[in-house]
Amino acid sequence: MADILVYIEHDADGITDLSLQCLAKARQLAGCCGGKTVGAAVLGADAEKVAAEVIARGADVAFAVEDAALADYLPKPYAAALAQLLEQQPARLLILPASTVGNDVGPLLAGRLDAGCVVDCSDIACDGTVCTFKRLDFDAQAYTLYRNAGGGLAIVTCKDGIAEAAAAGAGGGEAVSVTVAIGAEEQSTTLDRREVARKTVNLKDAKVIIGGGAGVGNAANFQLLEQLASKLNAEIGATRAAVDAGWVSHERQIGQTGVTVRPDLYIAVGISGAVQHVVGIRDAKQIIAINNDPSAPIYKMAHYKIVGDLNSVVPKLVDLLS
Amino acid sequence: MACNSIVIAREVWDTRDLLPGVVSGNALNEGALSKRFEPEDLNALEMALQIKDKQGGKVTVLSVGAVRDVDVLREALFRGVDEVVRVVPPTNELDTAGQAALLAAAIRKLGTFDLVLVGVSVPEGENSLLGAEVAARLGVDQITYVDSLVELGADSALCKREIEMGSEFIRAKLPAVLVMGVYLLTDDPRTPRSAKAMLKLKMKKAPIPEWTAAELGVELSGAKIVVAGFEAIPRRQIDTKDVDPESGAALKAMLDEVL
Repeated sequence: MADILVYIEHDADGITDLSLQCLAKARQLAGCCGGKTVGAAVLGADAEKVAAEVIARGADVAFAVEDAALADYLPKPYAAALAQLLEQQPARLLILPASTVGNDVGPLLAGRLDAGCVVDCSDIACDGTVCTFKRLDFDAQAYTLYRNAGGGLAIVTCKDGIAEAAAAGAGGGEAVSVTVAIGAEEQSTTLDRREVARKTVNLKDAKVIIGGGAGVGNAANFQLLEQLASKLNAEIGATRAAVDAGWVSHERQIGQTGVTVRPDLYIAVGISGAVQHVVGIRDAKQIIAINNDPSAPIYKMAHYKIVGDLNSVVPKLVDLLS
Repeated sequence: MACNSIVIAREVWDTRDLLPGVVSGNALNEGALSKRFEPEDLNALEMALQIKDKQGGKVTVLSVGAVRDVDVLREALFRGVDEVVRVVPPTNELDTAGQAALLAAAIRKLGTFDLVLVGVSVPEGENSLLGAEVAARLGVDQITYVDSLVELGADSALCKREIEMGSEFIRAKLPAVLVMGVYLLTDDPRTPRSAKAMLKLKMKKAPIPEWTAAELGVELSGAKIVVAGFEAIPRRQIDTKDVDPESGAALKAMLDEVL
C-alpha cells in the first residue's frame, strides 16, 4: 500500500507539470502524519508507459490502470477506477492536480467514498501529526486552514506552485499493473469531441508577457500587441474573453483554466481585472496596465497605470522602443 | 419537451475589492465582509429559467441554511421560479459533505427531475466541490465547468465544458447534475436576468417552506473537514504610478524603469 497516493494526469504531451508538482509535494510530506510511502495512480491509455516515468520522478510505487472504459477522461469511470484502486491499495491522503480533471473526479470520489475533500489548495503543511490544507482565500488576503477531523481518507486538489517538480532520476520504485472492472452503469456519460490547442508557446517561462483582454476589441488590434511583443521579445497572453472571442488561440489563455505565469513584466492591455484572470498573473514582478476605464480593478495591482486608448498608447510604446 | 430543473443557490461572502483587515489573528473579521448571491449559482438559475422559457417545465430552487443578509430564495422568486425550499441544517458547522447529503435528500424528496444546476464556486476560489458531491450521492451523471448547454434531448444533455487549452463536448444521461463554470461579459446572452418589479411586489411576503434534516431523514455524523483557522497574508504594497499617455517622456521613463 501507499500512505499518500497522487493522481497523475497525462496526455499526448506526457505527464502534466502540475501532476509532477503534486508528486513532489507528496514526497515532501512522506514521513509526516505517520505515512512513509508515495504511490502514484496512472489511469488510461499508456498507463504502463507513464507509470515507468513516474517512478523516475520519485514515486515509490506506481499503479497502472488500463481499461477500455478509461480511454478518454470522463468522471464516472475514472471515479470508479480510483475507488477500486483505493480499495485494493488503501491510502490516507489522495492528492490530485487542481485541474478541470482533478476538481471533477476528486469531489465525485469524495462523495462516493464519504471522504473529506478540500479543493484548490496552495499548500499542505504538516506538524508531524496532522496535515493542514491551506487555501488562498478572501481576495488573496488570507489562507483558510482546513483539517481532516474525520480521520479517514482525505482527498485534496492542489494548485500550480504547490512544489517544484523533481527532475527525472533513477528511481527505485516499482510499477504495478492493477485491474479494475467498470460496469456499463459507469459509462453513461460520453465524450462527443474535444477541441484542444497543441501547446507551442511557453508562457510559464516567459520574462515579458503582453496580455490582451476583452477591451482589445478585435483581432486586428491584437496585431498591435504583437508589434509591441516583438520589440520586447515578449509572449502574447490573453484572458478567457479574448480567447472566446476568437482573437487569440487557447494556448495563450492565462488564469483560472489557463496557465499561471510569473513574468518579470506583465503588460495588461484592455484587461479589466476579473478574478479568473488575476489569479494567473498575481506573481508578476511588475505590471503595467493600459485601459480606457479609469476605474478598472486591474489598476489596483498595477505598478504603472495608463488610462488611455490602446490604439494610441501601444504604437507610442512601439515607437519609443524602435 | 418540458424540463424540470432544480437549482442550488448559495449566499456567500462577497470577496471583491476587499479592504485590508479581513483576517485579524487567526479569525475572520466578519464585520468587514458583506454577502451576495453566489454569481455562478445565479448563472445556473438563469440557465434553468432559459430552459423553462424555451421548452416549459418547472424550476425549483434549494438553499441550505438560514438567511444572513441576502435571501437567495426570495431573489429567485423575484426572477420567476416556481418553487423554493429552504433546507434547515441541524448545525451551522456544515462541511461540503454535510451540505451535499442534505441537498441530495431534499432533491429525492422533490421527486423526479431532469437537471440539477449549480455554480462551480464555493465562497472562494473555484471548484466543483458541491455539485460533484451531490451528483455522487444521487448516483447520476455530472458535467462540471459547463460553459453552455448545446442540446437538451429527452434523455440526454450535451454540454460544452471548459478545460485547459480548449473545450470538450460531453453528453450526460438525464437526470444529471450540471455545474456551471462560466463567467460572463455583460452583453452575453447567458447573463442572469434582474429581479422583476411585479414579482418583487407579489412575492415579497410569500411563505418559504422549510425542511429540516430530521424531516429529510438525514443524520449527519459530524464534519469531516473543519476550518482550523485563518492566516493573514501580508498585503503586497504596490505604489501605483500614474503615467500620462500623452507624454512621451513619461512613457519613456516608465520603460527605462521596467526594462
